[in-house]
Amino acid sequence: MKKTSRREFVVTGAAALVFSAAILRIAQGWIKNAGQMLGFGLSRPLDGPLTPPPNATIDPVAHVLNRLTFGPVPGDYAHVAAAGVDAFIEEQLAPETIDDTLCDRATARFTDLWCEPLGEHYEEDDESLPPILRRVTTLRAIYSRRQLFEVMCEFWSDHFNIDPGKGDCHWSKPGDDRDVIRRHALGNFRDMLRASALSPAMIWYLDGQANAVREPGDKPNENYARELMELHTLGVHGGYTQQDVMEVARCLTGWTLRSKKQDTRRWELLNLKKLAERPHEWKPFNMRGEVHFEKECHDDNAKRVLGHEIPAGLGAGDIDRVIEIVASHPSTARYLATKLCTRFIADEPPTAAVDSVARAFSDSKGDIKTTLRALFATREFRASAGGKLKRPFHFVVSALRATNAHTDAQLPLLSYLEKMGQAPFRYPTPDGYPLEAGHWHATLLWRWKFALALANNQIGGTRIERTKLQRQIGSDVAMMATVLNRQPGAAESDAFLKSGDGLALLLASPVFQRC
Amino acid sequence: MAAQLSTTVERDDKRTLVVVFLRGGADGLTLVVPREDDHYYRARPLLAVKKQETINLDGTFGLHPQLAPLEAAWKEGDLAIVHAAGSEDDTRSHFEAQDLMEHGGLVAGGWLGRFLRARGPGTSPLSAVALAPTLPEVLSGAPGATAFQQIGEFSIGTETAEFSRELRRLYEIESGPLRAAAENTFEAMRRIEAIDVKASPANGAAYDANDDFHQGLRQVAQLIRADVGLDAASVDLNGWDTHFTQNIAITGNITSLGGGLAAFRRDLGARMAATTVVVMSEFGRRFAENTSFGTDHGRGGVMFVMGGGVRGGRMHGEWRGLSRELLEGPGDLPVWTNYRDVLAPVLARHGATATAMGKIFPGHALKSLPV
Repeated sequence: MKKTSRREFVVTGAAALVFSAAILRIAQGWIKNAGQMLGFGLSRPLDGPLTPPPNATIDPVAHVLNRLTFGPVPGDYAHVAAAGVDAFIEEQLAPETIDDTLCDRATARFTDLWCEPLGEHYEEDDESLPPILRRVTTLRAIYSRRQLFEVMCEFWSDHFNIDPGKGDCHWSKPGDDRDVIRRHALGNFRDMLRASALSPAMIWYLDGQANAVREPGDKPNENYARELMELHTLGVHGGYTQQDVMEVARCLTGWTLRSKKQDTRRWELLNLKKLAERPHEWKPFNMRGEVHFEKECHDDNAKRVLGHEIPAGLGAGDIDRVIEIVASHPSTARYLATKLCTRFIADEPPTAAVDSVARAFSDSKGDIKTTLRALFATREFRASAGGKLKRPFHFVVSALRATNAHTDAQLPLLSYLEKMGQAPFRYPTPDGYPLEAGHWHATLLWRWKFALALANNQIGGTRIERTKLQRQIGSDVAMMATVLNRQPGAAESDAFLKSGDGLALLLASPVFQRC
Repeated sequence: MAAQLSTTVERDDKRTLVVVFLRGGADGLTLVVPREDDHYYRARPLLAVKKQETINLDGTFGLHPQLAPLEAAWKEGDLAIVHAAGSEDDTRSHFEAQDLMEHGGLVAGGWLGRFLRARGPGTSPLSAVALAPTLPEVLSGAPGATAFQQIGEFSIGTETAEFSRELRRLYEIESGPLRAAAENTFEAMRRIEAIDVKASPANGAAYDANDDFHQGLRQVAQLIRADVGLDAASVDLNGWDTHFTQNIAITGNITSLGGGLAAFRRDLGARMAATTVVVMSEFGRRFAENTSFGTDHGRGGVMFVMGGGVRGGRMHGEWRGLSRELLEGPGDLPVWTNYRDVLAPVLARHGATATAMGKIFPGHALKSLPV
């Protein structure tokens, strides 16, 4: 059954219905809001044993928690220690089996993100959607128990980076997040790549709508074709040529979208005389945000991409051939394996690990779970404990999780991420926030300030129940071990006691910057 | 011993670019008045600035009387003005026009951010600063860009002496880049803390203590003096959307603008030679006044460029006059100079290469003005 769009509902429904629905929605929002403002609903109950890590170094349990999650919540260590590292990995690879009620409650009221069809997003206030997306993404990272899934959503959001600040992406990035990133984050890479290629936000962001050949001699726009190979699949040294870029661009000519910009034209066309002259240009509102193939703008001659012939006359079928060719290219397996190993193992990942991850990717035809399973099984992954720098987002979320803070993820919290240079969805260029530590060393000031502000409940909308937490966890040593994810060293214990603000010191300490 | 802050390594140029954005669409024809043009006086019977009140610049234009503090900069050749400047955006929407002007087109990231990125990874934690609650779009993508309203925010506070001491101890056990990052941070904090934020500005410069814009510029001057490695700063002056009773609404802002820029120049003294201030707004306003003593959104506005190396003391860019047939759309001064053509020569002086310029302003065929 076709879902009734909000506009159809408004147009066809009675005014009273609309009115009462609006009241209901506001009331629902208020009830949830009130709960959240009072700190109910979002505080995470700590049940089960809270036994902290017993070892002086990051042990295998602490290591998988450091890498597969945005940092452990008190009790996570005991849970994984009991279940076993491998069982935890399998659990995280099957997010659909993990109950996520708390996270659902934290994000349920942001209904603006779920509206259908995508074009209705264009009715939202210009600047409201990206902040909501930032908030929801942060809340999920903090509250979700499907941690690896959220970590992978972050990974793919960088891999297929789109800056909502570019034109219509304001409206279309939330749809991309839902239909490309989250739908396929642990699915099949090829499916995700195709969804991304036909995502309204990506088409807008990388100028797909300008990639048209109307008459012989028109030059295709190469922007997306190049990034598709350079950033999304083969990698810059993956063996494609400028000729391949031009040929891929030709294959993709004609794929365009109905955007906000066309509204102005549509209003002009309400001028009936003009409409009579150019009826084909009339686009109903509810097709906005929709991707479509304009046959007359497609170069339908034969092409040759990375050594493969694409015969003339395939029309809209060209894109499937292109996706197949680039997704199954050996360089793509290698490039993605390298990136995944950079994320999960080390900034300069060991060749042996990259080899086996690339093999798993190729053999499974891009199955992301299989690929990750292979990665987590490598000796190199298991031997890499504690050696990576947390990026700012990981640092902030891990601090909130370690202290079992509750938060509404509003601007007072997000502004710290902005100052640290990693607010979600604020990266302008298609390469996404860098994975490597070198990019994030400019200053530690905002991390330290955040640690102090968080520990002292000075961030609006964010709160740690410090007394309760201390009572639940027990001794100072247990608190230190819980936050540091290992037993404290002598220097840490000493500094903890002398600093005047032990909890802040732990969060600001070197070991907490790493994972 | 504290490690050398990476910014203390002598660089070829220690230039700072300050971008002042007049948000809301500043009325260029009130800031810089076409004092000899009868069309102007006819179109604005109530709002026109009287010829005898303006400060004559070149016979054709005169400064608004509240911009009198800028006369010295003009006469000494440090201030250039470009009239009928703006962007290609003709939506007359604040949001769209600011967005386009800060991004430098329908591209992601800000032009100032791309400029700083093109110069390579920033080594200073204070390379790009916005004196604002959040980072403006123009700085989006700048490596390590940061936003604060008071430079005192760049500190973990003085009441946390034990905390700082213990933190330093923990990082001293470290080796490698995390330790270096901590040392850089402590050193930057030391320099910021060494700034006497209450000290009187140099050379008798007078900032208004109750004016946020003045205080923003004052802090930029303090950062420049403290040699923290400041490459670019952004300061906004809001409230230029004068649809209604413009003369009442705009005078305070013009006073703030003129006084602030003049105080900044005086304060920096010789260091102004390595500093450039660019003043811009998303659009100018309708040529003719409306019936509520204001002006509506228009197109061409005015830009100011002040600082060392500026070919000042003269108007730059095209000026064709204000006769009716020259106006655009609903009766607006057109954009005869694209804002990028004003920014490009400035960025070049601040180290942007020709290759970088293509990335800073993609899709625009530059016709740089000799500012």
